[in-house]
Amino acid sequence: MTRPSTASTDLELMEHADGELTDGELAARIERDPEARAKLASIEQVGALVRGHLELSADAVPDAKLAAMWRRIDEQLVAPTTGLWSRVMAWFDRYRGHVITGAVSAGAVAALALILRPSAPDGGVPGRAGGAISAVPVALRATPEIDALETPGGSSTVINLDDEDGHTTVIWVTPADTVEGI
Amino acid sequence: MNKAGQRASISTHGRDPVDDRELVQGAQRGDRDAFKTLFERYHRRAYALAVGVVRNQDDALDVVQDAFIKAHKYLDKFEGNSSFYTWLYRIVMNLAIDHLRKHRRAKPVELDETRIDNDGDDPLLPRILGGNPGRALLDKQIRGRIDVALDELSENHRAVLVMRELEGLSYEDMAQAMSCSKGTIMSRLFHARRNMQKRLLDLIDHPSAELVADLTGAPAEAADLEDTPVNDESPPRRAPAARSR
Repeated sequence: MTRPSTASTDLELMEHADGELTDGELAARIERDPEARAKLASIEQVGALVRGHLELSADAVPDAKLAAMWRRIDEQLVAPTTGLWSRVMAWFDRYRGHVITGAVSAGAVAALALILRPSAPDGGVPGRAGGAISAVPVALRATPEIDALETPGGSSTVINLDDEDGHTTVIWVTPADTVEGI
Repeated sequence: MNKAGQRASISTHGRDPVDDRELVQGAQRGDRDAFKTLFERYHRRAYALAVGVVRNQDDALDVVQDAFIKAHKYLDKFEGNSSFYTWLYRIVMNLAIDHLRKHRRAKPVELDETRIDNDGDDPLLPRILGGNPGRALLDKQIRGRIDVALDELSENHRAVLVMRELEGLSYEDMAQAMSCSKGTIMSRLFHARRNMQKRLLDLIDHPSAELVADLTGAPAEAADLEDTPVNDESPPRRAPAARSR
């Protein structure tokens, strides 16, 4: 008899319990195996206990607290946002992600411009000698190394450059936009 | 598939026939009563989700309040690609996780979530508390132990467990909600369930006299759940129903 005694098989049991795996052979194996059936029952029971406990906790919140919560929400809904500052802040709140992305992008561009600008000859001001700034590509010592970095509320890209000025790291942060419309 | 819409809401028993979509459209036009109806329809369900994650009643109430304010603020951006509640629970979940990050007292110790042990040393336990979890929940000791067990889970494990057990979300939906891979979700859920089993294990080995009496069918205590209070503060209105799949 096949006994689901390893965690990998337990994982299949879990997927089966959660409706993620519709494998007839697995279902038949579970049916034949009392230990697998007990594990399945245990998964469902833990779920029922957690669900029941949280639902009972929610039911136990006094109506008065929820009524008070609605009053506070309602106050927020009717609060006038006619002032210039309020409207500016409302705009910023709504487009916060775009503003941050724009600011980070501008910062990254500025950082790259600093990296790429020519060095100043004879102590002069870089890029001023000939009037217009002339960008000269930096000779890289090695291919840039690019890594992904998990950051709270978004993702980042880390670019490591080794050029004639030494080692430079650029971190590009992209805020996550995870909820529809927000 | 997202199963959130398939379950009865905690606060929607005997709900009126007005569809959520109509209420959302009304609220988008500025009808505050429509938004209030949505609030009354989903506040307890949102609270159950929030308190499952943040583990503090006042903090959970704050999260729910902020979630409804945010939902109203961005209601005109809601296009109805999902149900209102699916949209709302994602706002609740994001705020709850943000809350944990902001109020984190110590860096949580996490298991390596990218792998699941294959050595069989720490498998799921084939042991159950009894045949009726609804009755088990009448036991204050068990409810206290569930609270402690949930508190002791890592934030990520707890969030996944709560999303799955309370909302019935698919692995894919949870992966989207938590911005991680489906494999990570499976690993978190597996470890969360196994840890809950371990933490509740001594209840199975050393059940209270009250629980034994209840599970063995003793009279009186095995009365109808509708009428049996858990304690003075939290009378249960119904037994938790098994979710249909």
